[in-house]
Amino acid sequence: MLDEKTKKKAFERIAAIVGADHITRHKTDQILNAHDAWPLSEAKLRAGEMLPLADLIVFPGTADEVSHVLIVANELKIPVTPVGGGAGTCGGTLPIYGGIQLDLKRLDKITEIDHTSMVVRVQAGVVGIDLEEEVNRYGYTTGHTPTSLRASNIGGFIATRSGGSMSSLYGKIEDLTLGLQVVLPTGSIIESKAVPRHSVGPDLRQLFIGSEGTLGIITEATLRLFPIPEERRFRSISFPDVHSGLEAIRKIFRVGILPSVVRLYDPEDAALSFSMHFEFEEGHCMLLLAFDGDLKKVDIDEKKSVQICLEEGGSDHGEGPSKRWWEHRYDMYYPSRLTTGGYAIGDTIDIVATYDKLENVYHAMKEVMEEEDAIVMSHFSHMYPNGGSIYMIFFTSQPDAETAWATYKRIWDAGVAACHREGGTMSHQHGVGLSRSTYIEDELGSSFNVLKTIKDALDPNGIMNPGKLGLGVRE
Amino acid sequence: MEPDTIAEQVRMCGACPKMCRHVCPTFFAWRSEAPTPHGRALLMHQEITGTREIDERGVEVLYQCLECSHCLTWCKPEIDIATLVEIKRRDLVKSGQQPEAISRLTGLVKKNHNPFGEEHSKRSDWIKTSNSKGSRVLYFTGCTAAYRETGSAQDTVSLLEHLGYSVEIAPDEWCCGSPLIRTGDVDSGFELAKHNAEVLNRTDVEAILVTCPGCYRTLTSDYSEYGHELNKPVQHISEFLRISLDKLPKGKFDGPITFHDPCHLGRHSGIYDAPREVIAAVSGSSVVEMERNKENAMCCGNGAGLRTMFPDHAKKIGDERIRHAKNVDAQYLVTSCPFCKNMLASQSENEITVLDLPEFVMMAEKVHYDKTD
Repeated sequence: MLDEKTKKKAFERIAAIVGADHITRHKTDQILNAHDAWPLSEAKLRAGEMLPLADLIVFPGTADEVSHVLIVANELKIPVTPVGGGAGTCGGTLPIYGGIQLDLKRLDKITEIDHTSMVVRVQAGVVGIDLEEEVNRYGYTTGHTPTSLRASNIGGFIATRSGGSMSSLYGKIEDLTLGLQVVLPTGSIIESKAVPRHSVGPDLRQLFIGSEGTLGIITEATLRLFPIPEERRFRSISFPDVHSGLEAIRKIFRVGILPSVVRLYDPEDAALSFSMHFEFEEGHCMLLLAFDGDLKKVDIDEKKSVQICLEEGGSDHGEGPSKRWWEHRYDMYYPSRLTTGGYAIGDTIDIVATYDKLENVYHAMKEVMEEEDAIVMSHFSHMYPNGGSIYMIFFTSQPDAETAWATYKRIWDAGVAACHREGGTMSHQHGVGLSRSTYIEDELGSSFNVLKTIKDALDPNGIMNPGKLGLGVRE
Repeated sequence: MEPDTIAEQVRMCGACPKMCRHVCPTFFAWRSEAPTPHGRALLMHQEITGTREIDERGVEVLYQCLECSHCLTWCKPEIDIATLVEIKRRDLVKSGQQPEAISRLTGLVKKNHNPFGEEHSKRSDWIKTSNSKGSRVLYFTGCTAAYRETGSAQDTVSLLEHLGYSVEIAPDEWCCGSPLIRTGDVDSGFELAKHNAEVLNRTDVEAILVTCPGCYRTLTSDYSEYGHELNKPVQHISEFLRISLDKLPKGKFDGPITFHDPCHLGRHSGIYDAPREVIAAVSGSSVVEMERNKENAMCCGNGAGLRTMFPDHAKKIGDERIRHAKNVDAQYLVTSCPFCKNMLASQSENEITVLDLPEFVMMAEKVHYDKTD
């Protein structure tokens, strides 16, 4: 927290930059900005706890204003926590050391659609759904459709290295981002030119994708666009076990097919998600597939994929479960009486691994998480030719807050340790934020020092989002 | 709503990762976390759990809600933040915590029986009626039409007479109470309701017609809820006109026509088709829908005291709705609410013709006569 003198000085200087209407020190605003969609922060709020607050919330309207605010923050050595939509699931926007919360929602312009190159230039504060709907009007899709699409912003997508449900075909945000504008902690504004590929040294753009506001603030990006596919077709196949389902997925990619959606629900998740609506054998897994493209290509891809699935022991369930998932894909994100009652808390550990390790990671994580009093259900999604992600979804309900928060941590600790032990990586698309911050040295090993050295060089005063990504942790 | 239900609803909304925020007009206007359904719910949740009282800024946030219920369209657990906010506003008024602008509004309505501070004696100055001998209907004018949209009010009378009705105006109509009920002063609102119910129940007419959806909702829902039953049917003009489609004037309009759904008519009263059918019958062509229409229509920005307290932000929302209409190349933006019409027309910069439904129908008559004279 800032002392009153520094707070007053910062307020006056920043108000002169962004205008008095675009800075607040009201406690109500601080409280409403104190959490994101990290389940622990939400659970604590529900339980009546207060979270750490920023001293000032600033709403810059241009990259230039961001730059001048950072110059002031640097001079006064004030922590700066950037926030976009506030929809991250790892606590990445929580201002744990107070200071400034830099809210980028006013950077809300879609600057230009380049029809020749099929790219769009967009500011960081544009909400995902607003961008998708705007490009849809011109016959394009961004191909980036995470469940948080209605709430999260472009800057947040990039800062957390996010992925959408169709990343198997369109790629994750690191594949979709061609150019970036970033304001460095010292106030310099840098541009990473939008080009499809280059060989001019390391790709510095990738340094900032996933940097979670610890290395600078993303203010604008150039993203790839795709024509809206002529056809999107859904297919669903059940499998007697995870192994046969994964084998089918692996072989589909091996023959060169890239479905837009590939989601294999384990028996628990399949039962919860589909057994109320469709008949399939108890204890079976459910694979959801979707194919995008022109009619001819979709026909061929679908036929070949189904054939592979049947050869691996699958049973065809037509388009039903897959299409239903697509139409209801945001439903799980809503709160319910069950998930918000008492000291209930759930979360997702979205790990990623290559095919040779994936099944072992799944079994190992499931076993240790269940030992810690968690109900665990999972689906394999965001699959690629060489491996994919598992959504290890867990839920626990405890009699009091202290037990609930401790149980939650034990489940996380056990799950991530098992993931690492079996050779997995602890996040595919949600990022690190606070929830995974303590595991990052285990994850990165000796390369963590590289990240730390870069951080120290770019942010010598350690003002940028301290405590996230395991960087700038204070006593 | 029971206290336990309120607690459960705000708890769930406060725990939501903001699945409706993208359509909240006040989020659009402020681009901050506070004036959002989620923000409002969280403030109420913290008060209920004893974590923190709602302070002056919190009160402001609660009064930044348009009560448009657009969030409800996108809410799977069906949490009605507009109702929850309205219930909370009642507590705030009871404890004297409402914003000063709202107290002033209440004072104006109490003194002049309208929220504009206009003289009550001039409420019906605009009216010109002929001596039609048809069925008697009463036109409950509402404050906006009576003082700010007199053209719409006069067109309503002319249109009803054109259809053969004998139109009466209530001898001593007061504000329906909507501005006070929606902003939390239900006691004062129901003083108005009591007066109006007595006046309306004494009249000898077949039906009461309203053009203002705010009045419509209040007369059809709030009055009866609080025991001020009306002894004759209340109909919105759009529904009333729908039963006489073949008798309506017909005219050819020289450009696409779109329709803005008023929140009180659409989401709050479930009337979506009637105005569209009237427009189609009159113009001979279907409405060109804006992307956000019917249950998903954006509010005009004028509701629940927002324009009184935050005129610039309210107008920003109105601007955006005009942009939606321009996006579909509409030349005419028709609504079925004098209050919405007033806001949208003020932001249209004469680039698009904004009309209340009776004005639109009467314009068809003019177009028709122009072409046949």
